[in-house]
Amino acid sequence: MEGGGGEELAVGCVLSLRTTLGDEIEGQIVAYDRPSNILVIQEGSSNAGARRNIRLLKANYIQDFTYLKKAEDPLDLNKCYIDLAGLQAREEASLRQAEIEAERIGVGVTSEAQSLFDALSKTLPVRWDKTVIVVMNEVRVSIPYLPENVTGGTPAANDRVKKVLEFERKRLQARGPGQF
Amino acid sequence: MQRMNLQQGRPFANGYSSRRVDTVVGTRTESKTQVRKSASPNFVSTNGTRVGRPTSPSRDRLIYVLTCLVGHHVEVHVKNGSIISGIFHATNADGDFEIVLKMAQVIKDGSVRERKSDHDSIKKPQPMVIPARELVQVLAKDVSLSDEFTPGQSCEKRKDLMIDSVISHSHHLETERELAPWMPGEDDPECPELENIFDGTFDRKWDQFETNEALFGVKSTFNEELYTTKLERGPQMRDLEKIALKIAREIEGEETQDLHLAEERGFSYHDDFNLDEESRYSAVRREVNGSGLRENENSDMEAYGSGIIAGSLGLATSGSCSDSLSKKNGNEAQASCNETQASSTSSSVVEEACLYTLADKGLGLSSVDVSSELKSDCIARSSSLEDEIRLDDNQIKDQGGKSERMAIQDSQTSDDVNTSIKSEEVSISAPLYDPSSSGQGNIITESSDSPVRGKLPAASESVDPPIRQGSSTSSSEYAHAESNRPFLSPSTSCGSLSSEKSTLNPNAKEFKLNPNAKSFTPSSSVRLHAAIPDGSFYQASNVNAVQHMHGLPMGVGVGPSFSHQPVFYNPQAAQIQSPQAYINPNGPVYGQQMIVGQHPQFYYVQSYPPQEMPHKGRKF
Repeated sequence: MEGGGGEELAVGCVLSLRTTLGDEIEGQIVAYDRPSNILVIQEGSSNAGARRNIRLLKANYIQDFTYLKKAEDPLDLNKCYIDLAGLQAREEASLRQAEIEAERIGVGVTSEAQSLFDALSKTLPVRWDKTVIVVMNEVRVSIPYLPENVTGGTPAANDRVKKVLEFERKRLQARGPGQF
Repeated sequence: MQRMNLQQGRPFANGYSSRRVDTVVGTRTESKTQVRKSASPNFVSTNGTRVGRPTSPSRDRLIYVLTCLVGHHVEVHVKNGSIISGIFHATNADGDFEIVLKMAQVIKDGSVRERKSDHDSIKKPQPMVIPARELVQVLAKDVSLSDEFTPGQSCEKRKDLMIDSVISHSHHLETERELAPWMPGEDDPECPELENIFDGTFDRKWDQFETNEALFGVKSTFNEELYTTKLERGPQMRDLEKIALKIAREIEGEETQDLHLAEERGFSYHDDFNLDEESRYSAVRREVNGSGLRENENSDMEAYGSGIIAGSLGLATSGSCSDSLSKKNGNEAQASCNETQASSTSSSVVEEACLYTLADKGLGLSSVDVSSELKSDCIARSSSLEDEIRLDDNQIKDQGGKSERMAIQDSQTSDDVNTSIKSEEVSISAPLYDPSSSGQGNIITESSDSPVRGKLPAASESVDPPIRQGSSTSSSEYAHAESNRPFLSPSTSCGSLSSEKSTLNPNAKEFKLNPNAKSFTPSSSVRLHAAIPDGSFYQASNVNAVQHMHGLPMGVGVGPSFSHQPVFYNPQAAQIQSPQAYINPNGPVYGQQMIVGQHPQFYYVQSYPPQEMPHKGRKF
């Protein structure tokens, strides 16, 4: 198969290589495109049909590599079909999921605030309102997210949010001040 | 494989648009459809501007891999050490493979200092383009390259089966520490590669006991024959093995009603029913024989679908339902009954739906009536159904009023259908009820020998056809308690389903169907089980006003009223050994007792002039 430098970069070969950025990769060559200098490697065990990690690596970043062994072509050319509809559906689903997750992240808030938000979200419905955490659509927690900053809502809800907030703060601190 | 229309031939230069995907993917598709080995002319032609680019199989492979990554979550490493994470959207396949990501974020910034300070904000994810010159590598996890082609199914499956990690994926933000893969230490015992342990073929030469002894000095006392049948290892071993395999194959190829077995064996059994995943794999398995009490199972109606297949049941049920219902004031019951009938595909479900609905309604008059009607119908049906029904019936009966019985009778008398239904049950050979006869007849004959006995409700009211005995349900006719059995059932069984078991006669012999049994034309409320064992049974003329069930508090003129009907007393009662033991004094005659020739008493109402129903007095 035409490939890069001779046999070493032929499809199916198992290599162990190191990149200039310090990554160590071991896997099987799926493809190598010379013009763009991109090498496609699949990592993982050798049983077919399983899901593997795929790396597309620019070959010019390979510092050195070792040729381990030669194996057969990982791609069965007769079975290479692409389900475009499925791909698009998957993409949409991933995007939706990512958007949902993005909603949970406050813009312009500190990571500490984000951690608090996440901790609160485990048990309470929370959402961001700029930099204010809104719990159950009633209780608002503003910067710097101390128990004193909890306002709104029924007294019961307010107290509950305060308690959870204190608890989470303690926990986050206990985990390590440098954790953030 | 789909073909996408190429929207534009222009290779993507800068910026990204949704068209890009079309272009890129389209070209890839095109190239894919061509022979991959050779340069794909289509690739060039569809994309006019792609002039000087060599197309090669290796490029095609690269493009194929990239296409498989669309929609996947990837990490892009760039020259300055940063890592950008996002969803792979498109690439410039005609150019130099720039990467377009959606919802991308820089998760590791290499250009600035290593770690973000505490007060760094987290940026909102946005689409990003990574130029090719910055690109170092693209890393995608858990990609399956050659399995993409399971159209639709895999997607749906993934959607349906939400595993925990998927659901809680968004909460992965709290990582307590950096996870490092486990590496075996020096002192760890050598372990075989776990993932490869089953890769190799079965190694017959490896003996675990020898190995154990060698490694640890453990002497084994394992004797295979203690745990399994002793194999005759001799010259005939081969043949025996072949025979055994053949038998195994036959068994495994058998048809089964059990959903799980069917699935194992590869029979697509559940296509007939709209069984969702829950009923297929998670729902509690109800025994087909109905050995348990089932009181409030509205929600599990579908579960019965698997074991209970009585196609004609629905028909009969509807017949009886509508008839009885029409008479009654139970409009709602009827409505529900009808609806359930209409909607349910499985007759058993219908039946149960009806019953349950009725039960739920708090047993109005109609409900009782219906239930009784249903019972007659149902009972002939699959035993499991019967069981359920009986139970429900008991409940209903218990709750219903006695007056209903009267009502039943009235309706029954007037209703030809009702009568016929009953009679139908009585005699297999002569289905009297046209509409339902087909159904019933079918059911009757096809009823399997489910252990009816288990189901005899203690309270069986009149309808209870306890006769069931484990044998053919078909000919069981139950004497309808109705007039004769005034609602004893309620008192008797008092919905004591639990007691039903006690009324069963464990020693009862199996009921054998006698196709030559006389046709039974019961009065509406009376149902008799035809004990047909050796044909000696029915003696229609023997009507001794048997006040049937012993012990039955036939309060309201039940006994005597029977005089009209040729109550059939089993002359062979004497021969019966234990039937008494199991007759519930308060209960109606149980089908169980229809043991061959053993039934001490059961009523055989030959001709039951409707008006004669003694129930009349029974307005509870």
